[in-house]
Amino acid sequence: MDSTKIKSVVCDEIEKNKDKLIGVAKEILENPEPGFKEFKTAKIVSREFSSLDMPHESGIAITGLKSHLDSGKPGQNIAVIGELDSLKVLGHPFEDKETTAAHACGHHCQIAMMLGVAVGLKASGVLEKLAGKVTFMAVPAEEYIEVEYRDNLRRRGEIEFLGGKPEFVRLGHFDDVDMAMMTHTSVPSNECKISFGGTNNGLVAKSIQFSGVASHAGGAPHMGVNALNAAMVAMSAIHAQRETYRDQDTIRIHPIITKGGVAVSSVPADVRMETYVRGASIDAFLSASEKVDRALRAGAMAVGGSVTITTLPGYLPIQSNESFLDLYKNNAAELVGQEKLGRLTHRTGSTDMGDLSQLMPVIHPYVEAASGNGHGIDYVIDDYDLAVVTGAKAMAMTVIDLLTDGASNAARIVSENDSPLTKSSYLSLLRSMTKEETFKE
Amino acid sequence: MDSKSLKSKCWEIIDNRADWLVNISKHILQNPEPGFHEFETAEFVSRKLDELGLPHEKGIALTGIKGTIDGGLPGPTIAIIGELDSLRVAGHAHANPETDAAHACGHHCQIGMMLGVTAAFKEIAKNSMIPGKLVFMALPAEEFIDVEFRYGLHQQGQIEFMSGKQEFLKLGAFDDVDLAVMAHTSKTEEGKFSIGGTSNGHVVKYVRFLGKASHAGGSPHEGVNALQASMVALNALNTQRETLKNEDTIRLHGIMTKGGVSVSSIPAEVKYEGRVRGGTTEAIADANLKMDRCLKAGALAIGCEVEIITLPGYLPIKNDPHMSDIFIDNAATLVGANNVIQKPVRHNSGGSTDMGDLSQIMPVIHPYTGVASGTGHGIDYLVHDYTQAVVNPAKALAGTIVDLLCREDSPAKKILSDFNQDYSIKSYVEMQRSRLTKEKYVPI
Repeated sequence: MDSTKIKSVVCDEIEKNKDKLIGVAKEILENPEPGFKEFKTAKIVSREFSSLDMPHESGIAITGLKSHLDSGKPGQNIAVIGELDSLKVLGHPFEDKETTAAHACGHHCQIAMMLGVAVGLKASGVLEKLAGKVTFMAVPAEEYIEVEYRDNLRRRGEIEFLGGKPEFVRLGHFDDVDMAMMTHTSVPSNECKISFGGTNNGLVAKSIQFSGVASHAGGAPHMGVNALNAAMVAMSAIHAQRETYRDQDTIRIHPIITKGGVAVSSVPADVRMETYVRGASIDAFLSASEKVDRALRAGAMAVGGSVTITTLPGYLPIQSNESFLDLYKNNAAELVGQEKLGRLTHRTGSTDMGDLSQLMPVIHPYVEAASGNGHGIDYVIDDYDLAVVTGAKAMAMTVIDLLTDGASNAARIVSENDSPLTKSSYLSLLRSMTKEETFKE
Repeated sequence: MDSKSLKSKCWEIIDNRADWLVNISKHILQNPEPGFHEFETAEFVSRKLDELGLPHEKGIALTGIKGTIDGGLPGPTIAIIGELDSLRVAGHAHANPETDAAHACGHHCQIGMMLGVTAAFKEIAKNSMIPGKLVFMALPAEEFIDVEFRYGLHQQGQIEFMSGKQEFLKLGAFDDVDLAVMAHTSKTEEGKFSIGGTSNGHVVKYVRFLGKASHAGGSPHEGVNALQASMVALNALNTQRETLKNEDTIRLHGIMTKGGVSVSSIPAEVKYEGRVRGGTTEAIADANLKMDRCLKAGALAIGCEVEIITLPGYLPIKNDPHMSDIFIDNAATLVGANNVIQKPVRHNSGGSTDMGDLSQIMPVIHPYTGVASGTGHGIDYLVHDYTQAVVNPAKALAGTIVDLLCREDSPAKKILSDFNQDYSIKSYVEMQRSRLTKEKYVPI
């Protein structure tokens, strides 16, 4: 059986399971859970692995799961990844009313795609034609949100890093993985259906606490030290550095205030902020991070208060492997037509798939099945066939390209890939970005 | 001659010179010069003193004038003060279009008042023995403006202190003076005469933010924007608002005298002249600390340096109560008691004057004559009633001086013995000298 035939058998199997797979995506859509809280979602994934008769490990990095299909023959191990977590977007049509959690970034489709690849390879019985292994991963917490909550998990030792993939790496779950892929949803650009390539911003995250002195805001404001004003000055100061952020560095700094005081009649003494500092390169976001720190210090200094800045490693910029992409591209063209393929440039969002891309060959294509604004209240999947079924098929076909012929393509790509980091240098880099400092000047 | 007759004589002399005095004031109004630039004004005043046949010293603290008339008998020395300088207010009806100098604070009337008092005292001293002396003074630079220029004069050694009375004190020009009087104009609605209350003290800031120039289009990231640092600093200053107590009447304000040199180059030097005013020394120190930390925060935020020079400003004024009572009696005689307003002791005008400095050293009064419309220091501050602006205050001050020196109960002597002096001239000069500080903050 040649690889064309294998692909056709696998795609037929995925097609056969179409309704079930889309059903899983919609079930997750209806049960959105933010990162490291995806307990219901993890149960759904576990149930589906079991229904495929796939033994699996659960509770990795709190909610993550993994399973694998082994050809029994030596060869590379390819990870197919789906992300478990939702965002929080107040007012999204599929928002959880209690938590405001909502799948405004389409991760629910990723789980269904990942399961689609699994069902395609398992139920079709093609595994024996392949070499190597395929590892299926449902990974928590790609959206780097609820920083204070996650930082508390970190302080309690439940996690070390605040994203799912860095945790999976730290815990050794990528130690035996040679290559990784996943597919994200997006909004169509230029009437395309699938797009790929390009780069993403990396980031560090900051959890910030301005400390002042509470006092009666009417009776004795002069006895207080207003931490909210410190935050205001700091934000102004961050913006005042605007022109020093180079265009090509695509710096993004976008704080939120998570606590701005407790009683309007009391001078705010404890104000908390969270922010990302994103940039196209590690140097760029680290340099911008220093500017943010001095702006935060200036805010505290101006009011005579103090600021504690906890800087946490976020994600690294992504770089897709071109040979890996070539294989994917051909398969995608077969499914949606060459003219429906788009090539991406630089995207200013971030993903922890970027971290993996520094360690091994990865691809992170997009199925353009959504409408609305990513992370907005109107981001919904319009074309589930494309989002789930086509997405799964394209990845399954690429796995087949990688692992047929004694996994020769996979072996070639892995040997040719020049990874900037090893697991240990990666973990050292992340740990070097972690710092907590209090300034009172 | 008794004090009543002497006073009548004074008033008659001043009334006879009313047009002469008013025209002097109007001439100065038309030829405004800011502090330490009052060369033509000083020359003009000198000529008028010559007309009166009064010898005088010139060029004290660059433009100041001083002379003495001996009453013939031993007694206290009283100074009558007029201020030479104008403000700068662009767009004022009488502004010099080249320099923006304008008498938007009415100092031109003070010179008329001073000459009126001086002319009257000269006449009475000619025919009667007066127990005491009159020192007449035209003083430069009461408005503490042009900070960079004055700091330059300071650095060149031309002056040490940057206001006229401060410098006169340092030069010893007040060493022979026991009491001092002057009157200022104010708005019509504040009554024909008013006196009392206090003023803010202050310190003066001369600030330079020092960044790094670079092409504002091509490589802004290679520059360090001093203008942004100053913006952050001024924003930060505004957030201190609620920490400033109402009763401290804090005023934090300033102007930017340099904000960059080319729009296409990242501003590498920004200059700011600021003022920290407050009702008490402690309040000023506290607000000054806040000003400094905001200036430093601006520099820290942007990663530039800031040089903060703090200059000794003015002290809050205390009107001597006994002298005030005597002035009020004279003013009431002239315009009726219901046209004389006594302000509560705690009333703070918010502004500042170097007469405050003098008031900590010797008994002084600094009453107001309500003659102007518009806003003080604004484009519309105009004096309308020149009789009330020049002639009446000259008479009220002359009457006060006659009472102080010539009344049988010797009020000046009692006032001097009751006076609670905060500083001697020597300790005052030392204190002010110690308030000049220079700091360069380089964020790490």
